[in-house]
Amino acid sequence: MGTISPRQAKPLGHRPPRFAIALGIAVALALVLVASSILNYIYLDTVAGRTSLYGLLAIALVALVTFIAVRSLARDPAERHRRFVRAGVLLGLAALVWLLLIDVFVFTSSAGPTVAVICALTCLPTTAFGLFFLRFLDRNETEPWRLVLIAAAWGAVVATSLVIWAESLWQAVAIRTLVPGPGLEASTAFSAGLLEELAKGIAVVLLFLVMRNEFDDVVDGIIYGAAVGLGFNFMESVSYMTNLYAIFAPEGVGSYAAGFQWYARQVLGLFFGHATYTAFIGAGIGIARQLPDIRRKLMAIAGGFIIAIAAHFSWDAWLTFFPIEKSSLGIVEIHLRTLIMIGPFTAALLALLFLGLHIESQALADQFRKEAAIGSGAILPEEVTILSVPWQRFQQRLRALQRGGLSAYLRVARLQSLQIDLAMERWHRERGELDTPPESAEDLLRRQVIALRQQLAT
Amino acid sequence: MVAAPVDQVRTLYRTLLVYATASILILIIGLGEFFYFEPPGQHTGLKATIVGVYQYDPATNSVIGPDKNAFPRTVDFTAKVDWSTLPRNIVVDARWYDGFGNVVGSVGPGTPKDLASHTLVPVHPPTGFHHNLPGHYIFVVERYEGGVPVEVIARRVVQVER
Repeated sequence: MGTISPRQAKPLGHRPPRFAIALGIAVALALVLVASSILNYIYLDTVAGRTSLYGLLAIALVALVTFIAVRSLARDPAERHRRFVRAGVLLGLAALVWLLLIDVFVFTSSAGPTVAVICALTCLPTTAFGLFFLRFLDRNETEPWRLVLIAAAWGAVVATSLVIWAESLWQAVAIRTLVPGPGLEASTAFSAGLLEELAKGIAVVLLFLVMRNEFDDVVDGIIYGAAVGLGFNFMESVSYMTNLYAIFAPEGVGSYAAGFQWYARQVLGLFFGHATYTAFIGAGIGIARQLPDIRRKLMAIAGGFIIAIAAHFSWDAWLTFFPIEKSSLGIVEIHLRTLIMIGPFTAALLALLFLGLHIESQALADQFRKEAAIGSGAILPEEVTILSVPWQRFQQRLRALQRGGLSAYLRVARLQSLQIDLAMERWHRERGELDTPPESAEDLLRRQVIALRQQLAT
Repeated sequence: MVAAPVDQVRTLYRTLLVYATASILILIIGLGEFFYFEPPGQHTGLKATIVGVYQYDPATNSVIGPDKNAFPRTVDFTAKVDWSTLPRNIVVDARWYDGFGNVVGSVGPGTPKDLASHTLVPVHPPTGFHHNLPGHYIFVVERYEGGVPVEVIARRVVQVER
C-alpha cells in the first residue's frame, strides 16, 4: 500500500482549471520579478542592483523547490523521498543565497557576516516556536509540515525579495516628490501595506489554487497565511537587527538596538504583526474555499486582502502617534502600543479561527458518524467519539505507544490522519466543494484505512 | 415545520465582510491623512536655491571646503540656502530629516526676509549621541499654507557614511 494520501494525488492531465490560473500567476510573477530586477539594476544604485540579481537567484531556486515539491506529491514513496531531499537541498541553497545577499552586499561592510549570522540564529528558535504553535492550534486536521515550511520559506525569501524591489522604487519616487512628514509616512505605510501583503498573499493564493486538497477551510487559510507571515517576519527581523546594529554600533549601543528589534519583532510582534496580517488573507481565501458562487468567493478573497492591508497600514502609519518615552515607563508603553494597535486585529482573527475550528469540529464529527453508519469499516462506531476529540486521539496514540512502541504510535497516527482525511473529503463532497471526481478519492481512502487497520491488528 | 440549518460558513463570510468594511474605513482615514498633508494642486513652480551642503564648523558657524553629497558620520555638516531668490510674501522653512525620518536640524517657518540671516541650516546629532547616525539625510525647503507645509520647493539628499 502506498503512503500517499489520495487527497493529494491527482492524475496528471486531469487538472482542474485552477491550475491554469496558478500557472498564469506564476508566469506573471516571474515576469514582474525579472522586469523589476532589470529596472533596479539600471536606475538604482549598485547595492540595489546586486540585490536584484541575487534575490532573483534565490527566487528561481525557491520556485524550483516549489515545483519539485508539488510534483513529488504525485509520485511513488521512493521517488517522493528523493524529490523531497532534492527540494530540501535547493531550499537550503536558496536560503543561503538570500543570507549571502544580506550579509555580503548589504551589511557586511559595516556589521559583518558574524553579526548577520548571530541575528539569524537568534530569530530561528522564536520563528520555529511560532510555526509549532500554529500547528498546535490546527488541532482537527493538522497541515503537513512540508506545506507550512514552504509557506514560511516563501514569506522569508520570495516575498521579502519582491518587496525590496517594489518598495525601493516607491520610496525613491516618494522622497523625491512628497513633503517629508506625516504625508510621506502615510505614503510609506501604504507602500508597505499594499506591496508586502500582496507579495505574501500570492503564496497563500498559490497554495489555494495548487494544493486545494490540503486547503480545506478558514482554519487552513489562517495557518498558511500566518506561516507566510512568520517567514517574512523572520527575514525582516534579521534585516532590521543587522542594519540597526551597524548604525548604532559606533555609538556603543549596537547590541542594544539589535536586541530591542529582536524583542519587538520576534517576541512581542511574533504573532502581533505579519503573522496576523497575512493570516487574514488566508482567512479570506479559506472562507472563499467553502462559498458556493464566484462573486462571494472573490468578495471573501478581496476582503481578506483589504483587512491585511489596513492592519499593516495602520501600524506603520500611526505608530508615531504612540511615542515611547526613554525611561522605564517606555517598556510598559511598548507593550501597550502593540496591544492597542494590533490587539484588536489579532482578536478579530482569533474569533474567525475559533469559529472555524468549531465549524470544522462539528462537521468532522458529523461525517465520522455518517461514515460509521454506512458500515464500510473505515470508521467504527466506537471510534467516532475518539476521532471527534483531539485529546482522545492523542490518548489513543499514547496507548499504542505503550503497547507497540514508536512504530505503533506512528501507525495509529497515520490511521487517524487517513480517517480525518476521509471525513474531510466527505464534508467537501456533501457541500459540493470538490472540483475533481470525489468518489474515487473516498474509496481509495477507505481501502487505505482498512488495510492499515489490518496491519495494526496483526 | 423545521427551519433549514444555518450554514455557519456564511456567518464566517459575513463576519469577514464586517471586518473588511471597518478596514476600508481605516484606509479612507489614511488617504484623508495623506491628502491633508499632501494636498493636491499646490504646485506653484517656485524653486528655492540650495547653494550647497558643506562641512560645518559649529564654533565659527561657517562652512569648510566644497559642496559634497556624502560625509563621514563624525563630521558636522550644513546646508546653505539663498533665501533672496524667493518671493517675500510666502512662508517657508528648511529642515533636515535623518534616515529614520526624524527632524535633525531646521530653521523657520517664516518669510524669506525673516530667514535671511539663517542661510546655514546645520544637522545636529540626536540627543544622547556623539555623532550623526549613518544613512540618507534629506534636506528640504518647504512652502507653508494654512500653517502646514504643502510643497517642497527645494530638495537635496546626502549620505552619511558608516
